Amino acid sequence: MTGLYTLQDPLQQTYDAVVVGSGATGGWAAKQLSEAGLKVALLEAGRPVSPKEFTEHMPAYKLKYRDHSPEIVKTRPIQKQCYACMEYNYEWFVNDLENPYSTAPGKPFTWQRLRVLGGRSLVWGRQSYRLSDNDFKAASRDGYGDDWPFSYAELAPYYDIVEKYVGISGAAEGNEMLPDGQFLPPMKMSCGEILLRDKVKAKFGRTVTIGRTAIVTQAHNGRLPCHYCGPCERGCSTFSYFSSPFTTVKDAVKAGCTVITNAVVAHVNMDNATNKASGVTFVDRMTRQVREIRAKSVILCAQALESTRILLNSSTREYPNGLANSSGALGHYLMDHVTGGGAFGHLADMKAVPNANEPQRPNGIYIPRFRNTPSSKQAKFLRGYGYQGGAGAEFNFSAEGYGAAYKNAIKEGVHAISLGAFGESLARWDNYVEIDNSLKDAWGIPALRFSMTHGDNEAALMEDAAASAAEMLESVGARDIRVVANVEMPGMAIHELGTARMGKDPKKSVLNEWNQTHDVKNLFVMDGASFVSSACQNPTLTMMAITVRACDHLADRFKKNEV
Amino acid sequence: MKRRDLLRAGVVLTGAAAALRPAMGQQNAQQPSELTPAQSGVDASKDLSSPNWKPAFLDEHQNETLIILSDLIIPATDTPGAKDALVNRYIDLLLSAEPRDSAKAFLNSLAFLDGESIRRFKAAFRYLPREEQDAVLHGMAYPKSNSAWTGETTGPDPGHGHFELLKGRISMAFYSSEIGERSLGWDGAFAHGPFQGCDHSEGNHK
Repeated sequence: MTGLYTLQDPLQQTYDAVVVGSGATGGWAAKQLSEAGLKVALLEAGRPVSPKEFTEHMPAYKLKYRDHSPEIVKTRPIQKQCYACMEYNYEWFVNDLENPYSTAPGKPFTWQRLRVLGGRSLVWGRQSYRLSDNDFKAASRDGYGDDWPFSYAELAPYYDIVEKYVGISGAAEGNEMLPDGQFLPPMKMSCGEILLRDKVKAKFGRTVTIGRTAIVTQAHNGRLPCHYCGPCERGCSTFSYFSSPFTTVKDAVKAGCTVITNAVVAHVNMDNATNKASGVTFVDRMTRQVREIRAKSVILCAQALESTRILLNSSTREYPNGLANSSGALGHYLMDHVTGGGAFGHLADMKAVPNANEPQRPNGIYIPRFRNTPSSKQAKFLRGYGYQGGAGAEFNFSAEGYGAAYKNAIKEGVHAISLGAFGESLARWDNYVEIDNSLKDAWGIPALRFSMTHGDNEAALMEDAAASAAEMLESVGARDIRVVANVEMPGMAIHELGTARMGKDPKKSVLNEWNQTHDVKNLFVMDGASFVSSACQNPTLTMMAITVRACDHLADRFKKNEV
Repeated sequence: MKRRDLLRAGVVLTGAAAALRPAMGQQNAQQPSELTPAQSGVDASKDLSSPNWKPAFLDEHQNETLIILSDLIIPATDTPGAKDALVNRYIDLLLSAEPRDSAKAFLNSLAFLDGESIRRFKAAFRYLPREEQDAVLHGMAYPKSNSAWTGETTGPDPGHGHFELLKGRISMAFYSSEIGERSLGWDGAFAHGPFQGCDHSEGNHK
């Protein structure tokens, strides 16, 4: 027995807080509460992860199928719709055969999930943008939906905390739609990107900036700067991109947090006499044994839809339609950014040829929302979209012909440029998840049934995004421009939000502004489920900031003996 | 509950900074099947170079045709070509493992190539002299356009579709091989220093 282990059985103790889920927000909750002196247990449905299994430096030719493994087709037909699910790392993603869900007829939804310590923070896209009051108070400005229960000014200090710890590289722009933050030095832009930035600013007055990304560009909190190898989604031996196991979870453990892996949480346990949560019941992923853990507070950070699934599966006599669901809003207002609009082409005047030994920048450019802003006129649709994209020399694998000429044409390359939009997904009651009582996962836990479509507004956003992208590419002299004006299947953005929304009115929302359920005072949901609207910015930074804010409040209540 | 039981349950008892490390070690030793072969460090790059290699999916004629075709699509120049990269062996491996429909589509395209060769030169592709093989491929390699004079369509163009399918497979197989990657100039290193970006002055971006 090493001195690293406590002799006490972790399941025979009562914790101040049990945190369900070890991803971006669960890691923060565990860290903040443990460091505040609380006794915390962090539950993760998957196994631990080790840097030894990182494969970012393994070339594809060392893989048996060079990233075309039949195993992925067989066991992860849904997960493989995500670019990050590869022959390198597919075991991090859930086995679709063991983790089913259903969809309403004609309403497909793709749900990408990881079950491993760190969850999706291991493979996330890392783009990190603040929301502004144009988002938090959007309903007051355009009359659609509901405002968030707090303002930007109230969340800004927590954005600061998260950014300073995580390490966000980026450039300050003073853009009214995209507040600046605490940035590490930005990554550099390519020639084509600088050309686009300058032309778009001059012609349209729009901002083109380098992506704000959770990758450190200088040594930061014990992590080394990015070495530009490229495929972050396969792990990072220098821990340059932010993932929870090697940052927040590590700090939580340092502060005394108990980490319990392979714990598939089935439901929240309630003490009906006091109307308080008393802990959670989980199924051991390996043995299928049912276990319980006791806690004075329960914090769900399981990923938006998993947290809601747990609440829906925790019905009691007092809460027959799902725990903490007196409002009836639980499961409703499901959102996922709409994608599928944009344009791409070639910058024919650029002379740079591709270089196989070029540093691989794991980041692109970003164009913040420019529709329906305080300084622009009202468009024919609500809200707006932002673009991600990039420009650079690439090998021309679509060269025509064959033989030596084809081989040479590939090497000569093309200077490609592309812009793809992420649009706001309006919060609508009729987009929802519920429990499918006829379907259970491999651990006997009832599965979700999805009913979601993007609507006319989302389609209008993508149509406008396609045309606007083409216009901007034209302005920079791009040739062979192709526009794409699709509305991708919901779930494709992998930005699932809503289903346990925050709000001031307990009759219309599940959570208050502190991510605390209105109905059960020691039960919290701290992840994307709490979002009131989706905005169009990548949401993880905001999820983390909200979590830190809520944990500050919770720790304070513990200090005052109010829990 | 005993410590052994806790480990089996995946329960990690922690109380110190380095506590994740031993717990992970235990877990990895316990569940090797939960790592992908790549995550376990398996290097499959030499699997296809065995002297005793036999096709798992293609018959002898299909395999020989594929070798000849791949060498025409991506020949050895100042760098090695598809034949050197054993492109046929990798494609055979994929065909043996992938869904029946896509494997069948590949065989159909290979058969179309033979059909065109027989129609035009009375012999299967692999038996044609190089000039006639080129003639067959040139007839398929580019999309057919409408008549420049009358604007009339030339009818369906299945040949180009089959050519693109075969070429796409061969190209992917070649450029995903070590030989293919090195033919593009790759030096074998996994990282090449910070991304320097554009350092041109305004108006001089290239």
